[in-house]
This record gives sequence, structure tokens and C-alpha cells, in this order.
Amino acid sequence: MRREATADAIGTHERASATPAHFEVPQHARHGAAPAWLPDKLDLRAHQEWFAAVVTTPESEPAPVDERSAAALVTRSDRLTSLERLEIYRRGYHARLIECLADDYPVLQHHLGDERFESLCRAYIARYPSTGSNLNVYGRHMAELCREEPLPEPGFAADLASLEWAIVLVIHAPTASVITEEDLARVPADAWADARLVANPSLRILHLEHPANAYLQAFRQGETPGVPSPAKTSVAVYRTGTTIWRMELTPAMVALFESLAGGETLAASLERVAPLLQGTDETEAAQRVMSWFRSGVSSGLFSDVST
Amino acid sequence: MANRFDLPDLGVGIGLRTVHYTRIVEDRPAVAFFEILSENYMQTSGRPLDYLDAIAEAYPVVMHGVSMSIGSTDPLDRDYLAELRALRDRVGARWVSDHLCWTGVAGRNTHDLMPLPYTEEALAHVAARVREVQDFLGAPLALENPSTYAELTGGTMPEWEFLGRLAEQADCAILLDVNNVYVSSKNHGFDPMTYLDAIPYDRVIQFHVAGHTDHGTHLIDSHIGPVIDPVWRLLGIAHQRAGGAAVLLEWDAEIPGFEETHAEALRANEFIGRAA
Repeated sequence: MRREATADAIGTHERASATPAHFEVPQHARHGAAPAWLPDKLDLRAHQEWFAAVVTTPESEPAPVDERSAAALVTRSDRLTSLERLEIYRRGYHARLIECLADDYPVLQHHLGDERFESLCRAYIARYPSTGSNLNVYGRHMAELCREEPLPEPGFAADLASLEWAIVLVIHAPTASVITEEDLARVPADAWADARLVANPSLRILHLEHPANAYLQAFRQGETPGVPSPAKTSVAVYRTGTTIWRMELTPAMVALFESLAGGETLAASLERVAPLLQGTDETEAAQRVMSWFRSGVSSGLFSDVST
Repeated sequence: MANRFDLPDLGVGIGLRTVHYTRIVEDRPAVAFFEILSENYMQTSGRPLDYLDAIAEAYPVVMHGVSMSIGSTDPLDRDYLAELRALRDRVGARWVSDHLCWTGVAGRNTHDLMPLPYTEEALAHVAARVREVQDFLGAPLALENPSTYAELTGGTMPEWEFLGRLAEQADCAILLDVNNVYVSSKNHGFDPMTYLDAIPYDRVIQFHVAGHTDHGTHLIDSHIGPVIDPVWRLLGIAHQRAGGAAVLLEWDAEIPGFEETHAEALRANEFIGRAA
């Protein structure tokens, strides 16, 4: 079984107190209608709701406030109008969340191109405003959105997003020690059939409609891969220590590992694999399954064995 | 101890950033202390904490957050505070800081440091919340002055007065970011020395320095690039008035290698009259 490492800082970029600086300076900010509130009646609560409403309005729309009302709540400087000063916050809000999504989805960004990816992110921000205190989980809806947005290859984009989000989840999943073949050797021969394995807590097995992992790997090797044709693939994503691994699996391997990871005994898991190896010589089939099993263990898919 | 909280002067440190993890863990370079972005190590059970545990074993760590939303009119997030406290205890952080701002309201989070109106209403509101947080943490909370790009009308006092009175009323500590003082002074047209003159230095437990970006019409607190000399000079003045306190360089975008980042932080010694 071949596996590839993702050992860099993907998905773990900083959520800092800094303000993103690489957005355009707000000039000639467009304004919209006056707000429904009376500015001189705002208490602290209303003040914050008003400010948040302005800041979180999509940048494709005019700010929901006119210059006079903005001036009633925000002072102007000698170089910026009140509305332009508010625009700094509005642009900063969107830029920060776009940065966050770009950190989580660099390969999707490459596939879509910067402009289309940014549009997708803006749709994401409008659809899924952040309600939590932490951005580690903010990007969790991207695959879902890819299927709904008018993208050129929405299914492939969704598969890439699923794969990249799995990597993020694996980064943040609990770290566990993994068993080795030596650990297996200590299992008595007569206990094998009833042995159960505990999956590495970071393990995710994805079922995709496109070879997204091959695309991701090619991208990470500096290649410029084309969009692949649809083809069902399964990928295990997991972590040992600080290294994230991606391993493509055949349907029989999926049956074996999902059964074992689901807590079924080794004997029961082998029974699940058997139908997928029909036509294969019995001895050959047994050797293959044992080979996958040992390889899964030595690759770090499991963290414990019980008899 | 120069501050009233008996918190140590940790020297000159840098913000812990993922691009430096390997260098730090493998080589253990000499660094006085690291500051972590608290939220980077919350809502995670995995790799970030593994690195942090290894680093906290070898270095003093302080925590700096962006999501407490101390100025918000939403209720304090007790789950957030509980996780924050657990993280502090896990890594033995010397103190916890956040910003004088609000980040979310009505259940939505902007993840940005939004400005407060500097009014008596806001002062009473924030002071009560700071006391609540400190009771929960069982330790002083340090609040940092943010960079601001808009001043809200209706304010009855300047930011420096608000910060000083808040610190007294809530009995909290101050993390004085002299780059933010500089950025806001340019954005709002005040003399940064007026700000420094108003600070109760016995409450200052830490300083921040950072680079910023000049857009012509305003400055952005981008944490990009080296610290400019006017900011270093503000640090020198404030540090002397405080009688010493920890100094921390924030570099959060276009982050260079560890050596360059640390060397930039150590430039602080030229301005605070301390041998490197």
C-alpha cells in the first residue's frame, strides 16, 4: 500500500490579532440607505449590532448606511470619511475569513484559480457567518457549498474540499500511540479470530467520486495537474506523531479497515472482505488480506489491540 | 518586581508561530519566552498541542487571546473561559491577555478587534466583565490597547483615559502595545506621548511591538515586517517608566525564518538599555 505524507503546516496557520493588510484601500466607498436606527438613541448593545451589521454586509453590496448616518456614529479623519473608516473594518472582516479558508483549502484554491476561489469564499462567508470563538472549525461546510455553487466541476471541487477538510480534522484529532507488528506478535494464535483493533483516533476514510488524492499529491509535488475524470476512490487520512498520511485504498481494503475500525473482530472483518475477493485463489486471497492487515498496522492505522 | 501583580519580567520574546515549530523543538534555541495565540490551541486535541506541550516544557509561555470579546454586550462565553483556563493550567502560562475590544455580538463573531465607544456606560460594562473573568481565572487578566481605524462618536474620554480607569476599576493588568499606540495616533491624529503619559505603569506586565503597513490615508496593524524606529523609541520610553516588563515581537504575515524573527525582537535591547 502506498501512502503519502502531508507533513507541513497545512491547516494550522495562525489566527492572529493582526489585521490583513493586502486588501485595497477603501476609496470612494459606496453607501446605501440610511439605517433604520436613530443614531443618537443607540446604547452600547445597539451600537455593536449596528457596527456588526455594516461590517458583515457582503462587499458586493453597498454598505447598509449612508454617509450622514455613518458620520453620526464614526468620526471622520483628515484623510478618510466616516464611511471609508467603516470600510476598513468591513474589508478586514472579509479578508480575514478568506485567508482562513485559503489556509484550509490551498489545493481547492489552485484548482479554481484565485478569483473563482475568492468568490466561493465570499459566498461561504455570506452563507455561513462565524458563530464560534474559534476559526479552527470555521471551514467545515466547504464541500457542501461546492456542490451548491455554480462551479465548473462542482463534484470534483467538493471532493477536493472533503479531502482537505479531512486533513484539517486529522491535524486537530487526538494524538495516540500506534501498535506495531511486534504488538500483534504477542497475541496468542488461538485469540486471533476474536481480536479487536482500536482505530487510530485521527483515522478518516473518505469515499470520493474523483481521484482527488492523486490530484492533491501532484499539486504538492509542484506539478500542474489537470482535472481528472470521475472515478470512485477511497482514501484513508490519518496522523502518526506530527505527520499526516494519505493512503489510497481498494474496495477490499476499505471493507477490512472500516470493519476493524468499527470494532468488529478480525474474523468478522475477514468475512466482510471475502465477497470482494471472489474468484481469487483462496490461499492468494488469505495472503493478500494478511498483507493488508499487517501493512495497515505498520502504517499506523490502529492504536490498540484487545483479545 | 516592577508591577503590582508581582509578575516576572520575562525579557524579550517572540510570538510562537507554526513555521518555527520544527526549529524550536529540534534545536531548542535560546529564547526568553514565547507568547501563544490562545485560540490556536483551543478546540483542538492534536498536533498544535503536541508542539505546544514540547515547547512549554522548555520555555516560559504566556497566552494572548483574540476571542474573549470582553467589550461585547453578549454574555461572556463560559465554555470559552473554561477552555482558556484549562489551557493555561496545562502549559503553565505565566499570564493570560486579550484585547480591549469586542469581537462578536448577537451570536456572530467577526474575529476582528472592534472598537468600543469610550463612554461611562462602556467603562462600567467592561470593568464588570473583567472582574468576572478574573474571578473565573483566579488571576489578573491583562488587556491590550488595540489598533483602531475608526473612532466612535459619543465618546466622553480618550482611549488612554478609558484604559487607565478600566485598569483601576477592574484591578486588571495592561499589555501595552506601543505599535498600536503609534498606529492609532496616526489614524486619529493624537500625540503618542500623550497616550504614554496617561498609562498607570505599575499595571503594565508586558509590551508588544510589531510592524505595520502604511496605506497613505491610514496605518494598518498588519504585523508585517520589522518594527520602525519611532515605535522602538516609544517602547524605550514606556519600558523605562514601567521599570521593566516583558517585551514581545508579533510577526504574523510574511513571517521570516526563526533567526531573523528573533533577531528583530532582540533589537528591543538597544532601546530599553539592556544588554542582549
